[in-house]
Amino acid sequence: MDLTLIPADVAKAHQAFASALAAAADLDALMRLKGEYVGREGSHAAGLMDLLKTAPKEQKRELGAAINGLKNAWEEGLKARQVELEAAKKRAASLASQWDPDLPPPLPARGAQHPLNRLMDRLVDVFRPLGYHVEEGPETETEAHNFDGLNIPEDHPARGSADTFYFQEHSGQLLRTHTSPVQVRVLKRLAPRIQELGGIRFLAPGRVYRKDEIDPTHSPMFHQVEGMLVGHGIGMHHLKGTLSYAMKALFGPGAEVRFRPSYFPFVEPGAEVDVRCPLCGGAGCRVCKGSGWVEILGAGLVHPNVLSYAGIDPTEWSGFAFGMGVERTAMMVSQTPDLRLFFENDQRFLKAMGGLD
Amino acid sequence: MLIERRALQVELPVLSGMGTVELSETLASLGFPVDAVESKDDQTVLEVDITANRGDALSHRGMARDLAARLNSELAPLFHVPLQEGAALFPVRLESEACPCYATALLDLGGHGSTPKEVVAFLSSMGSTAKHLPAVDASNELLHRYGHPTHAFDFDTLQGAVIVRWAKAGETLRTLDGVDRKLTGEDLVIADERGPIALAGVMGGDATKVTAGSKRVLLESAYFDPRVVRRMAHRHGLHSDASHRFGRGADPAMAPVARDLLAARLQAWEGAVLKGAWLAGALPAAPQPVSLRGATLNRIAGETLDLGEAKALLTRLGCQVEIRENALEVRRPSWRHDLSLEEDFAEEVLRLRGFDLIPSALPPLEGSPLPLSASYLQARNVARRLAHAGFHQTVTLGFISPEADAPFAEGNAAEGRTLGNPLGREYSVMRASLLPSLQAVAEANVRQGAREVKLFEIGPAYRSTSQGPQEEPVVALLWAGQVGGEDFLTKARPVQAADLLGVAKDLGAANPNPVKELAPGLLALEMPLAALPQIEDRIIPRFAPFSRFPAVERDLSLLVDLDQSYGALVEATEKALREAAGAVFQSVGCVDVFRHKSLPTGRQAWLLRLRFQAMDRTLTSEEVDGWVRQALEAAQGLGAELRA
Repeated sequence: MDLTLIPADVAKAHQAFASALAAAADLDALMRLKGEYVGREGSHAAGLMDLLKTAPKEQKRELGAAINGLKNAWEEGLKARQVELEAAKKRAASLASQWDPDLPPPLPARGAQHPLNRLMDRLVDVFRPLGYHVEEGPETETEAHNFDGLNIPEDHPARGSADTFYFQEHSGQLLRTHTSPVQVRVLKRLAPRIQELGGIRFLAPGRVYRKDEIDPTHSPMFHQVEGMLVGHGIGMHHLKGTLSYAMKALFGPGAEVRFRPSYFPFVEPGAEVDVRCPLCGGAGCRVCKGSGWVEILGAGLVHPNVLSYAGIDPTEWSGFAFGMGVERTAMMVSQTPDLRLFFENDQRFLKAMGGLD
Repeated sequence: MLIERRALQVELPVLSGMGTVELSETLASLGFPVDAVESKDDQTVLEVDITANRGDALSHRGMARDLAARLNSELAPLFHVPLQEGAALFPVRLESEACPCYATALLDLGGHGSTPKEVVAFLSSMGSTAKHLPAVDASNELLHRYGHPTHAFDFDTLQGAVIVRWAKAGETLRTLDGVDRKLTGEDLVIADERGPIALAGVMGGDATKVTAGSKRVLLESAYFDPRVVRRMAHRHGLHSDASHRFGRGADPAMAPVARDLLAARLQAWEGAVLKGAWLAGALPAAPQPVSLRGATLNRIAGETLDLGEAKALLTRLGCQVEIRENALEVRRPSWRHDLSLEEDFAEEVLRLRGFDLIPSALPPLEGSPLPLSASYLQARNVARRLAHAGFHQTVTLGFISPEADAPFAEGNAAEGRTLGNPLGREYSVMRASLLPSLQAVAEANVRQGAREVKLFEIGPAYRSTSQGPQEEPVVALLWAGQVGGEDFLTKARPVQAADLLGVAKDLGAANPNPVKELAPGLLALEMPLAALPQIEDRIIPRFAPFSRFPAVERDLSLLVDLDQSYGALVEATEKALREAAGAVFQSVGCVDVFRHKSLPTGRQAWLLRLRFQAMDRTLTSEEVDGWVRQALEAAQGLGAELRA
């Protein structure tokens, strides 16, 4: 293009046009650029048109051609850039309503049940198919329910104020030291209907209190799950069959049980129940102290005195009862090193150990 | 209890062929788990756990007796030459039934010779230091070996007759441990004519103890009522080896035998000379026989057991057994106080056979199972729902300090909920509310850097009544910190009371208790579980018809005062809409609140959403417009105006 007749400032502007066009990042900037070069007034094009009007006649043709050339070049450039910018705008608009699917999505809130409650709920689920329902009793108990009804002698050390919490103003009332008083309550309540019911079977999970200082393996409050069955002709084999089923349901098919003779005043015979160590499968590990077995329950056949106390004829009815320490089992299964973690309730611990069903 | 391996073997020679691991397993299978094994020098000591009913097993001989029965082997004979009993050299009077027999002997001490080395070593393995006074060391040795506690008095310190009697109030005794004991009428004492010289079955007196200078000793080997000894030991906080054994039931038949063995040791070790031996009182009569029916035995065992085998097993334990038709007539041995019911003997049969042999079977389902209780299901469901709503279930102690309890216990006296023997003041009151415990947990979590704390607990809250503390199951919720801000769609904002109310409403609380701000930003709410709906009996509720015609929603933007009561406004508009539209009116609710400086001072904008739906037709725009006008008028009556 011959720019000899074009004023120097416009020629310079023309040289800058390409880079100005590229620098117009959006449509607004492009419109401003358009006004600057080809606008009706005050633009380079308008200035050239004024120049053409006053130009000597012999130059008009040549100048006109040069001006047209410039105007065309600018308009085409502007139009092409406009198409480009409009496309970019459209694309951005479309992207703005899309999200990268890899962005972390909003998660529904996740809390947790307490691991001890989960374990107790699980036990209820395990025993439900055997026809056990859940019984609850108060934490505040009487000596009659907590001790007398369970064949615990009057001078038994567990009754002492060194072991059991008593209320100040109501000295006959105490915080239950085990879930076994629920046995007494349920037996007494259901005794009149026992023939019609055809026996009794229930689970009693709950909180109990003993006067232990808080340390890595003790807490003055802990949980037990009591189980009881009363029927006709109930023997130790039924206890073994039931606990064998339950431990397999809880720990898997490899969970054998072993009975060892023991003593609890409210059962006769009494047994400690070991389960084949669920962590090492019996090979011996730190949890089972190399023995391959872990003690998990106390159990036995219901003492005739317990049935009689509740008004049930022990010559007709017999039964078994068992009790599991929930913390102890939870610690064993999870290898939690310190009992206090269960009562500290750090949300991270609860999430990791309890979680959601 | 400590058991020295070789001393056990002396009582039961067959054990020499058994390794310590096998011995421990055998003991465990008999009901005596071994807690620890310690080898020191050439001694191996087992720490054996003995249950409270087995006082008879608290010695090497006693443990060997059970092992012998299990292994069907013979105990070594007891080297016991019975002393020739004669007339009492001076009166020994038994004035209480708590001491039915009292074997005694008087010896002149030789004064030359001392406790043998091997006995010193044995005592040391029992954690006891020999005094090098044969009368004391021999008594101690006999206790560990045979389980029967004995005592020796320095006879020359005694005055007149020896009496076993109840103490008189005001009497005192300085026991061997140097402590002056105040006695009561419930203390059984050995006394001479001047006063008490020993706490019966618990500990001897200091003034009458045997010393290196003692010339003559009076031996005591008696039987004391276990309950009396237990109570005395408890009252005086004095748990001695003797009280442990008498308290769990000693063998009365061992009283004269232990005296004889003690005298024989003094004769052998230091050339003591027997001056006389006699028995005050009488040995208790042989126990009555108990009938163990075959049916009971088979029921407990879970299989038919041969009565002959059962008889043989019980006989090995020292019982006298006769077979009578389908039952065994069993007389327990004098050392087994724990055997009194037929169930007790059945257990012994199973124990000796081994619990491993008990078969395994599920019991028959006799009656119909009972349903899970509504209260249990409710608590379980509430817990699950809250966990899924992001709350963490806590377990906290039921007792707290009176200071923490007080702000939550209006009209609920702490005294009636206070423990008489708490672990400490901070654990002394059964809490009126779970909130103080939740607050402590929340603060600990915040200290640990949690951005958001969401906690709940289900448990009893305590209320004082004249009958004693009453429990009411409650659910407590706590929410604090920032909500959201964890993803690109949810903006972070502080938790508001409304968040917690929403959770309570979602659980079904019709009128939730107000939200409390326990500390700045720590919002909490507690309500009785009874305030929440229980599981319906009906699996699916009765059918209620619903409209298939479209619902119409209209939003009404109102300018109201900043202190406008929402309840009042909704009540007024609902009333107007019910009157105008009847059953077609479905609901009204605020869906947005706008507060901004562009609004007139003192005003805010509420966006009310009105919903209409007819059962039988599609609503027309005109009729809906009319109802909306009615709603607006009602709102205007309360000072609201339509926002332009």
